[in-house]
Amino acid sequence: MSVPDFDLSTVGVGVAQESCSQANSSSYLLPEMLPFGFCSGCGHIKIAGYLDEALRRLELPKNKVVLVTDIGCIGIVDKYYDVNAFHGLHGRVITYASGIKLANPDLTVIAIMGDGGAGIGGAHLLSAARRNLGITLIVANNFNYGMTGGQHSCTTPLDAVTSTTPHGNLEAPLDLVRTLQPSKPAFLARTHVFAEGQVDMLVEAIQTPGFALVDMWDLCIAYVGSRLALNKSAIEGMMDELDMPAGVLYRGTRPEYSAAWRALYDEKGARTPPCLLQVTGGSVLDHKVGIILAGGAGQKIRSAATLVGTAAIMSGLKATQKDDYPITVRTGHSVSEVIVSPDDIYFTGIEDPDITVILAADGLAQVARRLTKCSPDARIYVDEALADSVQTPGRVVPLPFAQTAKRVGKLTIAPVAIGAVLAREGLFPVHIFEAAARAMQKEAVAESTIAGVRAGLELG
Amino acid sequence: MIEFIEGNDAVVRGAIDAGCRFFAGYPITPASSILVSMMRELPPVGGIAIQGEDEMASIGMCIGAAMTGLKAMTATSGPGVSLYSENVGLAIMGETPLVIVNVQRQGPSTGSATKGADGDILFMRWVTSGGFPMIILSPENVQDCYTLTVAAFNFAERYRAPVFLASQREVGLTREAFNYEHAWAEAPTPLPRPVAAPDCVYEPHACPTPDHVSPMSPIGGPHLVRYTTSTHDQRAYLTGDPDVIEHMTNHYRRKILDHAEEMGIYEYDPQRGADTLIIAYGVCARSARGAVKMVREKGGKVSLLVLKTIYPMQRRVIKEAVAEVSRVVVPEMNMGQYVWEIRAMAPGKDTIAINRMSTTLISPEEIIAKGGLL
Repeated sequence: MSVPDFDLSTVGVGVAQESCSQANSSSYLLPEMLPFGFCSGCGHIKIAGYLDEALRRLELPKNKVVLVTDIGCIGIVDKYYDVNAFHGLHGRVITYASGIKLANPDLTVIAIMGDGGAGIGGAHLLSAARRNLGITLIVANNFNYGMTGGQHSCTTPLDAVTSTTPHGNLEAPLDLVRTLQPSKPAFLARTHVFAEGQVDMLVEAIQTPGFALVDMWDLCIAYVGSRLALNKSAIEGMMDELDMPAGVLYRGTRPEYSAAWRALYDEKGARTPPCLLQVTGGSVLDHKVGIILAGGAGQKIRSAATLVGTAAIMSGLKATQKDDYPITVRTGHSVSEVIVSPDDIYFTGIEDPDITVILAADGLAQVARRLTKCSPDARIYVDEALADSVQTPGRVVPLPFAQTAKRVGKLTIAPVAIGAVLAREGLFPVHIFEAAARAMQKEAVAESTIAGVRAGLELG
Repeated sequence: MIEFIEGNDAVVRGAIDAGCRFFAGYPITPASSILVSMMRELPPVGGIAIQGEDEMASIGMCIGAAMTGLKAMTATSGPGVSLYSENVGLAIMGETPLVIVNVQRQGPSTGSATKGADGDILFMRWVTSGGFPMIILSPENVQDCYTLTVAAFNFAERYRAPVFLASQREVGLTREAFNYEHAWAEAPTPLPRPVAAPDCVYEPHACPTPDHVSPMSPIGGPHLVRYTTSTHDQRAYLTGDPDVIEHMTNHYRRKILDHAEEMGIYEYDPQRGADTLIIAYGVCARSARGAVKMVREKGGKVSLLVLKTIYPMQRRVIKEAVAEVSRVVVPEMNMGQYVWEIRAMAPGKDTIAINRMSTTLISPEEIIAKGGLL
C-alpha cells in the first residue's frame, strides 16, 4: 500500500467547530454537550455530523429514534444526540438493537460501532444480516483499536504496523460488505469520511426496511493517522488496492424480520392446551414404589413412563418421573424412573428399585450396577432374551415381551411390559391406565397402547 | 386442575402468567425445553420469542427488549451463564429487570450435560465483575418452578435488577403433578412494571436515597431514555465524580440488601428440643424433608429451614434458627458452597457440610447418617 505524507490540513482540525455550528434548533445534537470529545481531527467528528444531517433530513420524532453504541471511541457518540441512547458492551451493539427493534418495530434503530466491535461481535453481524432485522448499522472503520492504544483489528490491512503488529500485520482484513452479501440483507454500502454523498447514503440506509450496513472508512488521528497518513487519496488508494470499492454495493428485497416474524406467528401461533387430568381415585397402594423402565431408543420408554405416572395421579397417587438418555437420542439407552406413592414424594432418586422392567441390552447396561445391589424382594421383569444377562439378588421374571409385542403391533413392547407388571403388582386399576392413554395420546396411538397393555395382562 | 409436567414447563407457565412478553435463548441441555416452549407459547399471548445466535446475543436482546418496555426472560445452564456474565453486569449497571433461569448441570466446563448439580450457586452470586448483590431464588419442585418464576419477575421489576432462578436438571426435568389452583393461590400477584409519569422530567436512575428504585420509562415512550454500561449519574451520563460514583454504587447494593426481608421466601419448621438444624435449598430440600420425616417418625428431634430465597441472604431467620441449636447440617449437590455463608453466620456451631457431585442425589438416609441425626 502506498503511504502518502500525512497532511493535517486535508482532514481539518476545525471540523469540531463546524459540527458545533450545526447544533441549531432543528439539530439532533445537544448544544450543551458539544464540542465533541474526540481527538482534534478524528474522523468520528465527521461521522457524527453526517448522522445529524441525515436525521435532520428525515425529520424523525426524537423519541422514536434509538442510537445504540458500544465500546470504542465511537461508542461515546450517543451522548451528543437528543434521541434515545443505549450504550452497551463491546461488540454486542447489534444484540441490544435487535431486542429494541423486536420489542417495538415502530422505532428507528441506528447502531454505531467501530471495527473492533465488528470483529468481536462478528457472529452478531452475520446473524443480523441473515435475519434482515430493521437496524441501520454504521461501522466507523478506522482499522485499529483507538481507545486502547492502537492495536490491530479485523480490518487492519496486511503488513500494517500497529502496537500489536510491530513488524507488520499478518492477518488479512475483513471485507464487511462481501462477508454479509451472501445473506442478502436490505442494504450494503461502503464509503469513507472524506468522500461526498455519505448523508444520502445514510438517509437511504435508515429509510430501508431491513438490515442496512454502512461501512464508513474512518481516520484515527491518534494511531493510524500518524502511521499510515490517511487522507482522501490515501483511503481511496487503499480501497483500490484491497478491491473494496465505495458506493451502495447491494440492495436486497427480503422481508424485514420483525414484520415477517409478526405476520408468521400471528397467523400460525396458538397456545398448547394443558393436558388436565381427572383424578378419580381407585388405587389401594399403601407404600412408595420405585419403578425403572430400562429400554433402548425407539421403544417409546419415556411416553410409557409418563402414562404410568399419569395413571398413578389419576388414581389418587403422587408420582414423579425422570428420564435418562444419551444426547444422540435415536441410539443407545432410554431409561425412565417413575416413583408412585400414596404420600408426598420428597426424594426422587431410586437407589433400590422395587420394580425394574428390562426391554433392551442398552437399558440393562445402565441399571446393571443398581441391580447387583438391590434387595432380594426386588422384582425384575425382563424380556426373556435378556434374562441370562441379569445379575441380581432380586427375583428375575423372564417374560416374552418382544415376541408378544411383535404379534400385537409396532411400538407396543413397553405397554406389553406395563400390562404384565400391572397384572402382578396391582399399582392401580388397569382401566385407569387405559384412560390415561386416551387422555394423553392420539386416538390411534392410544388404541395400540391399550392393545399392548391387554396382551401384557395375559402374560401376567 | 392437575397436569403431569416438568419443572421447566412450570417455569414457562409462570413466566407467561407473570407477564413475560420477551424471551431469547440459545439451546443448551437441560434448559432447551424452556426455549422450545417459549417459541410456541409466547407469540399467542402477544409476546416475542427468538433463538439467539449465541448466549451473548440472547441476553443482549433481552436487555434491549426489557428497556423497551417488555418483561423479559432468558434460560440457560452453567456454561451459558459463563457467557451471560458480562451482560449480567450490564443489567446491574443499567438497572434492567430481567429473569435468568439457570437449569444447572454437573460441571465444570461441559461437565455432564444431562446430569444435575447445584454447582453454580456462588458463581451466580458473584457472576459479575465489580461484585454486586444478586437476587437468586431456588425451586425444589414443580410448584416452586411456577411460583418462584412469578416472584422472580416481581423482584426484577420492583428492584430493577437481574434475578436468577437457580433451578437444576433434577428439578427442571423431573415430571410431577402440577396443581394450578395451588400455584395460583401460592404465587404472588404479578406486579405491573412501575412507569414514570409522562409529564415528569425523567431521570433513568433517580435515587434521592441509595435504596430508592425509580420507575422506568420505555425506550420509544414519552421520554428520551438514556442507558449506559459506564459508571454514570442519575441521568445516565458518564461521570468521574467520586461522590456521584459512591452514591450510585451504594444504590446498586442497598436497593437489594436494605430490602432483603421483603424478598424472603423460606419455610422454617422448628422442633422444640431439637439440637440440630438442617438448612437446605433446591432439590436437596426434598431430601432434607424426607430425612426430617424419618427422624421424627423414629422419635428423634430435628429442625428444618428451607430457603427458596438464597440471595439476598435471609440473615434474620437464619440467625434465629441457628441460635436454637448447636449443630447445623447443610446438604448441597456441590463441593460445599452455601455452607460457607452459613458458617459465617453460625460462629461456634458445629456446621456439617454434606456434599455430593457424582450426578446422583443426596438421599435422606445419607443426610441422617452424615448429619448424625439418629
